[in-house]
Amino acid sequence: MKTNLNRRDFLKLTGLAGGGMVIAIYLEGCSPGTDAPTVILVTPDATVAPDATATPQPPFAWEADIYLKLDKQGILTFTAFRSEMGQGIRTALAMLAAEELNIPWSSVRIVQADADSRYGDQLTGGSTSIYSYYDAMRLAGAAAREVLLQAAALAWEVDPAQCSTEAGFVIHPDGAQKTSYGDLAEAAAKVGRPAQTQLKDPSQFTIVGTPLGHWDAPKMVTGQAVYGLDVRLPNMLFAAIARCPVFNGSFTSYDDAEARAIPGVKDVVELEDRIAVVAENSWAAIRGRDALKITWDEGTNGTTDSQEMMVQAKSNMRREKKGGLLEADYEMPYEAHATMEPMNCTAHFHDGVCEVWAPTQSPQDVKQAVSRVTGLLPSKIPVHVPLIGGGFGRRLQTDYAEEAALLSQAIAAPVQVVWTRSDDLQHDFYHPMSFQYAYIPLDKVAIPPIRVANGAGVPTGAWRSVQEFTRAYSEQSFIDEMALAMKRDLLDLRRELYQDDDRALGVINLAAEKSNWGESLPARQGRGMAYFATFGVTYVAHVAEVSVEENGNIRVDRVVCAVDCGSVVNPDNVAAQMQGGIAFGLTAALKAEATIKNGRVQQTNFHDYPILRMDEMPLVEVYIVPSNRRSSGIGEMGVPPIAPAVANAVYAATGKRIRHIPIRPKDLRA
Amino acid sequence: MSAYDLQINGQTYTIEAEREMPLLWVLRDLLGLTGTKFSCGAGLCGSCTVLIDDEPVRSCVTLVENATGKSITTIEGLSPDGSHPLQKAWIEERVTQCGYCQPGQIMNAAALLMKNPDPSDADIDKAMRDVLCRCGTYQRIRSAIHRAVQEA
Repeated sequence: MKTNLNRRDFLKLTGLAGGGMVIAIYLEGCSPGTDAPTVILVTPDATVAPDATATPQPPFAWEADIYLKLDKQGILTFTAFRSEMGQGIRTALAMLAAEELNIPWSSVRIVQADADSRYGDQLTGGSTSIYSYYDAMRLAGAAAREVLLQAAALAWEVDPAQCSTEAGFVIHPDGAQKTSYGDLAEAAAKVGRPAQTQLKDPSQFTIVGTPLGHWDAPKMVTGQAVYGLDVRLPNMLFAAIARCPVFNGSFTSYDDAEARAIPGVKDVVELEDRIAVVAENSWAAIRGRDALKITWDEGTNGTTDSQEMMVQAKSNMRREKKGGLLEADYEMPYEAHATMEPMNCTAHFHDGVCEVWAPTQSPQDVKQAVSRVTGLLPSKIPVHVPLIGGGFGRRLQTDYAEEAALLSQAIAAPVQVVWTRSDDLQHDFYHPMSFQYAYIPLDKVAIPPIRVANGAGVPTGAWRSVQEFTRAYSEQSFIDEMALAMKRDLLDLRRELYQDDDRALGVINLAAEKSNWGESLPARQGRGMAYFATFGVTYVAHVAEVSVEENGNIRVDRVVCAVDCGSVVNPDNVAAQMQGGIAFGLTAALKAEATIKNGRVQQTNFHDYPILRMDEMPLVEVYIVPSNRRSSGIGEMGVPPIAPAVANAVYAATGKRIRHIPIRPKDLRA
Repeated sequence: MSAYDLQINGQTYTIEAEREMPLLWVLRDLLGLTGTKFSCGAGLCGSCTVLIDDEPVRSCVTLVENATGKSITTIEGLSPDGSHPLQKAWIEERVTQCGYCQPGQIMNAAALLMKNPDPSDADIDKAMRDVLCRCGTYQRIRSAIHRAVQEA
């Protein structure tokens, strides 16, 4: 690699907790984390941060310069440090930095960070990335802009305060001369830290607040995007793994003669409680795995039965004894994530290092987990994060990465562990089944208390919107039941319940207005509303319009969604996430459930775990409440209110109150 | 193991494979054409859709021996530079979320437009209902297909 030690080409910046900046200058050809002779100009405390009360700082110290690089061609390379799984976070974070830097969006490139604690916690979950980093990314961009201004002013021998920037150029005070960022990059690298960092007034935004497609889209539509399963290493092998169909079970013995006879199969390897078949290609590995004859040790979960769990949860529920109550029971099954890209991971154990390519929502957890299972120090485990074909919380787990690392260690070769669809559906960390009991005194207008009982013996984990989906379902169904029992108007009761919350009322009223709430619909059609503030930060109201045929078939024709997520980074992406959240929730509300019998998940593929199809997708209209408040999350927030909105609409259409999901046609046959 | 000549994206590839090997794995694991995606392995989701003689097929359940002597088009070969009207429309309509199913969606839509150059919403639903998207991009896929028709 050619390294010209006299040329300093990269300018790198970051915000520090408390609003400070670190500017590090890396020599051409060097990258962070190497032993590059870097020059660090430090400033812990003096630069201007936005109002600390309005902009809480990320809960960690920002230690190094890791976000922005500007090259001499004026190309900004932004390093995304949260995982992209379709929620648009790579694009959104880069938009914020590019906005303050005043660089055209077409000059932005995005690369993905490895697991690296310098980025703070990289766990991508809870719809927190924008909530946590909105200001930090702006600060990084603004500091870079300030440095470029100073570099130009120095060359022109003018006051930097008299200079301005525009679309990748610094403009001279005379208004005529200008210099491109690319031409300034070298000089800017010699400028010290900015004494002041000026953030734009949001009214001046030209990138933030505009509808942009995902930066990765051109690669996605040409097949060039690299997901976990697309990682290819020289001499890489493929593996499929047999896991006990009963949770936490193991095997007692197995016969691998047939598996080993399959062309392409290279090895059969025991991995603790699992058996891996290693092959030259994925197909041979899967065939080999399927040819293993295994005697399982089912352990203690061999009688787990989800139907029985629901019966138990119902009979154990502590119910109110006093009279004068309105009460209702709601039932929700286990739900699988069913990401379109099945779980997978690629690992290469060599020379005391285990390099991992993990489509994961938490690369630092992968690093720790691989360290635990391999015995290597975390510093010997680089974790790369490819694009993710759907996460929804499943990829917060690290099981897939532990398998790949252990296997690579065992065979001393690069290997990709491929999960089949049935592996994926049957070895998930499910959204928990629940029995829910709601009650309220009939003379009381209040949000109802709800008691939730879950099952046991089944791995559960985060599933897009987690417990908010559970709670919104019974709460918002029950509020409609309250209104009917109290002979109150459905919308008026909701307005009264949320009268002290402007943002709740805002979305409820907006959804009502845009959906023509109150206007009559033909027979067997109905409207239903539900509202929920997921994680208490993003306010969403859905109005679902459904048609129910005589045979019970349910069609969701239209959903009007009103969302208040504070300041909006990318309005088109807010709409996309609401559409996506609604589709995700509709699969649970109307179609799919994971059932367990004899300790085994019964579903194996999309024929018995059916997800929403194109001809079942409602027309979704999304209305965003204009707001200058702190930007909150959007990835999960469209999900919780959709199931109760549909249940309420089904009641409006048929007069039948269905208190379980999925709602099936047989529940509604006329 | 047998040798097969495959015509893929206008090029001839000679490979050695078991005759029952699905085309999907030939593309992905033998030839490194990873744009075609694995998801269900049973012809149930459409992520692996490619064109064989302009017909949409699920490559995960298409045996390699049944793909020989025919013209195979994958997402990598739909256009040389992402300029197919569907690819452009997918960008314009901002369809992609995770993007994983989209090569299959686009290939399936390409086959639809060859047969029906101006499909109605109902035509699109019928042709596209077997290609699954967990992110819920269906509404935009429909819009993108209409846009591609207008701009083709």
